[in-house]
Amino acid sequence: MALLSRFLQAFALLLLAIAVSAEHTSNWAVLVSTSRFWFNYRHLANVLSLYRTVKRLGIPDSQIILMLPDDMACNPRNAFPGTVYSNADRAVDLYGDNIEVDYRGYEVTVENFIRLLTDRLDEDVPRSKRLGSDSGSNVLVYMTGHGGDQFLKFQDAEEIGAWDLAHAFEQMWEKKRYHELLFMIDTCQANTMYTHFYSPNIIATGSSEIDQSSYSHHADNDVGVAVIDRWTYYVLEFLETQVTSVTSKLNLGDLFDSYDESKIHSQPGVRWDLFTGQEQEGRLRTVVDFFGNVQNVEVENANATEPGSLKEDLAEIARLVEKWQKRDEEYADVLARNDTDESHSSSLHLKPKSKVGPTKMTEDGSWGKRLVGLAVVGVCSAIWIAGSVLGRKSG
Amino acid sequence: MPAAIRNLRSNPHFLFVRLPKLLSLLCIVVGVAWLLLLPLNEYSRRTYISENALLPGQVHAYFTGSEQNIFRGYKKELEGILNDETKDRAEVTAGYVSRGGHAEQLLILDRVSDKVQSIFEEAGLKFARQKYEYNSAGITHQGENSYAIIHAPRGDATEAIVLVAPWLTADDKLNLNGVTLALTLARYFKRWSLWSKDIIFLITPDSKTGTQAWIDAYHDMHPASVQPLPLKSGALQGALVIEYPLEHRFQTLHIVYDGVNGQLPNLDLFNTAVSIAGGQMGIGANLQEMWNHDDSYENRLQTMVRGMTKQGLGYATGAHSSFMPYHIDAITLQTKGEGWEDEMALGRTIESLCRSLNNLLEHLHQSFFFYLLMQSNRFVSIGTYLPSAMLLAGNFTIMAIALWMRTGYYPETKSVQTKGEKAPAEEKAKTSNIAERKLALPLSLVVGLHLLGLVPLWVFNNVSHQYFTTITFVVLGVDIILPLSLAAILSNGLGLSKPLIPQQYHLIKSFSLLLLGLSLSTLATLNFSLSFMIGLLCTPLSFMTRLQGAAPARLATSGLGLALLNLLSPPTVLLGVCWYTGVSVETVLTEAAFGWDVWGMWTQVVVWCVWWPAWLIGGVLLGSSIF
Repeated sequence: MALLSRFLQAFALLLLAIAVSAEHTSNWAVLVSTSRFWFNYRHLANVLSLYRTVKRLGIPDSQIILMLPDDMACNPRNAFPGTVYSNADRAVDLYGDNIEVDYRGYEVTVENFIRLLTDRLDEDVPRSKRLGSDSGSNVLVYMTGHGGDQFLKFQDAEEIGAWDLAHAFEQMWEKKRYHELLFMIDTCQANTMYTHFYSPNIIATGSSEIDQSSYSHHADNDVGVAVIDRWTYYVLEFLETQVTSVTSKLNLGDLFDSYDESKIHSQPGVRWDLFTGQEQEGRLRTVVDFFGNVQNVEVENANATEPGSLKEDLAEIARLVEKWQKRDEEYADVLARNDTDESHSSSLHLKPKSKVGPTKMTEDGSWGKRLVGLAVVGVCSAIWIAGSVLGRKSG
Repeated sequence: MPAAIRNLRSNPHFLFVRLPKLLSLLCIVVGVAWLLLLPLNEYSRRTYISENALLPGQVHAYFTGSEQNIFRGYKKELEGILNDETKDRAEVTAGYVSRGGHAEQLLILDRVSDKVQSIFEEAGLKFARQKYEYNSAGITHQGENSYAIIHAPRGDATEAIVLVAPWLTADDKLNLNGVTLALTLARYFKRWSLWSKDIIFLITPDSKTGTQAWIDAYHDMHPASVQPLPLKSGALQGALVIEYPLEHRFQTLHIVYDGVNGQLPNLDLFNTAVSIAGGQMGIGANLQEMWNHDDSYENRLQTMVRGMTKQGLGYATGAHSSFMPYHIDAITLQTKGEGWEDEMALGRTIESLCRSLNNLLEHLHQSFFFYLLMQSNRFVSIGTYLPSAMLLAGNFTIMAIALWMRTGYYPETKSVQTKGEKAPAEEKAKTSNIAERKLALPLSLVVGLHLLGLVPLWVFNNVSHQYFTTITFVVLGVDIILPLSLAAILSNGLGLSKPLIPQQYHLIKSFSLLLLGLSLSTLATLNFSLSFMIGLLCTPLSFMTRLQGAAPARLATSGLGLALLNLLSPPTVLLGVCWYTGVSVETVLTEAAFGWDVWGMWTQVVVWCVWWPAWLIGGVLLGSSIF
């Protein structure tokens, strides 16, 4: 018996150690392009390139939410029907034969995006359109489109503001929908989009400072449009050439250090301050923590005390139950006291409330009101008559 | 200072006689100076592409190599037929140009049309023809359009682009290279699968009538003499006209953009053409026949004035002009000069332009529709130039309002003649009296003269062209006699009525100027240049008045004034301009009548129903001082 208890203690300690190292148990990616139309080909190519990368690093389609507002592959203007390329060498067809677009066309709206993040969706919305992340999930949110100071345009029709996004992430945190979140955005004045974030454990990075444009990298002379944006291009270059497998030990610090302003033509930004452990800690997160897929399993740990753990939840519930019981007792006391004092204070406690319901407008005092009305009309007409008589005299 | 202002305010002569004149003069001077400032860097802007979708010059144009052999083959085939039919090509074109008063025999004969049809059909396009006939000024214009459609292989056939190749260019030269290029491009475009819009290839017999007949029929707005179209596509988004009448390599592209009634295509289309020709293909782009534009102030002004002249006259400057009334943006690309560029370079330019238009998601609308270009990369927009014509038009309105107020005072002439001599109090008492305006005669005279304008309008658009010169001189005679006789009748009554009192002269002038100002300021928003030109020619009318004073001086002044005024009458201006440019009056008027009958040109209406009546009334007022 003693042996068994000691063994259990050791096991609990082990679990505790795992929990403290703050490992996540799943990876989710939300990849959003917000612009449609042929000349915005590059925004869809940006997203599709990233889609390809996260899939390569192991995140399954079921954990990727891909939002594409337009269908470039089938646009009649596409010289290469059925394909999307993000490079003029056209080596990799991003549209390929294994692609799962979860939100397409006019489904890509601000409302749908926020509903997706906060999981305020109808029950009948299929799993493919839901972000099924939990408190153990690392979430990558990548957005691209046309934006400005603290907004990002959705489809020429509406825009999402920096505060909208900040509040959506806060709700995600409150609903325990992420463990750590990496927010990436490639648009003009991108860095303004994450200025208002206030929820913990978010690392944010954007392509350009306020009042700066983000530029496209290069155009394909046969497709006839720009095929990728600069910042995304160089992020991808890092991911494709350096992060070759899920076992890569390169960390976010390496990724962000690879930004080269002379190549990107704008000043990319990084925000660490929301992250537990600030920059030192954040830099150590590996790239595959967000872009790859982990297979860690967390067994619920009875001793864990961090937010979101079972123990904390149980303690909270116990506290609530206690509170309610106390309230019930107090109420019972009051009732008991009322019973004893009924003889002289019943009217105080048990007086029936006055009936609330429709009442007749003219129920009481109708004659009085009529009289007042008549008097007012009389006085008015008297003034009018007097006025006209006097007026005639002086005239 | 306040005292001085108060004195001026209580001085009716200053308020109603001198101040309006000063204001009017100021408006005219500022209006003209404004226009002269526009070419400066501070007032004009560099052009830019507004529409994101256009992406000019981003695609590689592949129209080279073997396509050139196809071009040569087609050209030889067409040339053979043309030579067979008409031993001498010059003879045919000359036959077309000379207007013998008979039905014009257009050069496009059935065999050529058949050849064009077989080439289009071999390339896999749907082909159709359309016959049309127009009658204007006793001349019959007839011809047959042929056109073919490439249906966008993956598009939805709701939109289309038009490529036009007229057999005769706007200068009546044979456009064999242009037509051949269109045929080659049709074959080449057919093999691309990336069209989002249908492409229509239209081969018209000439640049004046063909496109008009076709576009009218396309929108079911054609007269009975024009056949309906058997084959149609979607809404037209843009049109390009190809003109390559040269037999050698060319140097630059001349972009013609003026439409009928001064309508212009969206500036984005022009900018795209300049950007593709200059930037991508390395071919220079010119406008308004300015071959050696050195970007100096003088050259910019000259370009602008040339553009304004075309806009003001409102005639069609090429086959593209007919598209404008239907809100289809169109330009003509003309090859000019001797240089290194061949038909393949022009073909690539058109290919790239078509790809840009193909990228459009909606009708061109981002950029300006009202602009004045002064260099291929510099323009002023309506907000900057409009005040100029508005000030000119405003000068008439100011004068008209001042005269109206002046006629309300009684006794008007005395207070004018004896100003300052009477005590201010007495004068005030007088001016506060409100005089009754005798409106009947001034109103009917002004309305009558404006209605009279319908007579020359009808005559010039309905008689045969050989009488035009005679009628012009008749109108010139009428311009001399009519004001004088009207003045005589009005001044003396001639037993018909009482002689006019000064108030009525003022009222006549007031109404006339009011109408003129109103019409011109309205016109300025539609056709700035026409409004500005008419406004400038009418400026003396603000200052025409019945002269007073001693007989000899008065007679001499008014006689001289009338002579000068006659120099600014519509027929004299017409004759003067024709003499200066060396074009015969008959040609101009035939063209004008053709414009009225076929293109729906409104310039004559403005001349005969706005300018002429206002001028006549100016003449009557000045003439009345003789009697």
